[in-house]
Amino acid sequence: MPLVIFVDDSETALASTRMVTTSMPIEVKQYTEAQVALAEIQAGMTPDLIITDLNMPVMNGFEFLEGLRKVPSTQRTPCLMLTTETKAELKQKGKALGLTGWIVKPFNPAQLKQAITRVLRLPA
Amino acid sequence: MLILDSVYDLLTHIKEVQKDAIALSCESLLMISGFIEKNNLEIDDSVASALQYQDVISQQLTAIIEAIDSVQENIDRFNHSYKTDEDIAVDSMNKLQEKLSLTLGEAKDKKDRFSGKFANNHADEQEIEFF
Repeated sequence: MPLVIFVDDSETALASTRMVTTSMPIEVKQYTEAQVALAEIQAGMTPDLIITDLNMPVMNGFEFLEGLRKVPSTQRTPCLMLTTETKAELKQKGKALGLTGWIVKPFNPAQLKQAITRVLRLPA
Repeated sequence: MLILDSVYDLLTHIKEVQKDAIALSCESLLMISGFIEKNNLEIDDSVASALQYQDVISQQLTAIIEAIDSVQENIDRFNHSYKTDEDIAVDSMNKLQEKLSLTLGEAKDKKDRFSGKFANNHADEQEIEFF
């Protein structure tokens, strides 16, 4: 099964995404700290999709994305930003860093599932 | 300055109350989500949104805590200047007012930024935008 990792400093946000994706044919790993997720990726974990929050302490979503792009195995891994932020300039920055897409919270469960299905090319 | 010391203490109290509110709302939501997962209940759109409200509330309260931190930092600076040399008190007061205005501006900006689709001007925001 494809591995999807969620990174969000909010445990309740992670609980929401976990409940929504539980019926999907994917393996899910969740992290409350981006630097921990990045360390595991640097140590060899190879996710098929990364979904991350933007505003997080210590390492924010953009810094995490920059770190991911420096690791050979995740240079091209699809990455979605899941955030309350809606500013166009932030979306542009994300796009320039190689983001696949931008999801505004609160997300609609069906649309989040569709986005994961689409990016991972899972059977609909 | 005594009045500012009182304001400082009041702000500290407000921060503590907000931190407790964040922790309690988080604990409450985790209990509910734990129940849902334990019983394999499927959530609909409205429950999914409700579960995410806590995240938005936490971010809003955290932004206010950050604004309070900034205000307290500036009160500290003012108090230091005031105690060091009363002649520069007026200048320090003007600087404090300027800093407080900046803090208020930043706090208002964060209120909108951290509201996601709840912000009035983002009600019709595209849910998922692919690049």
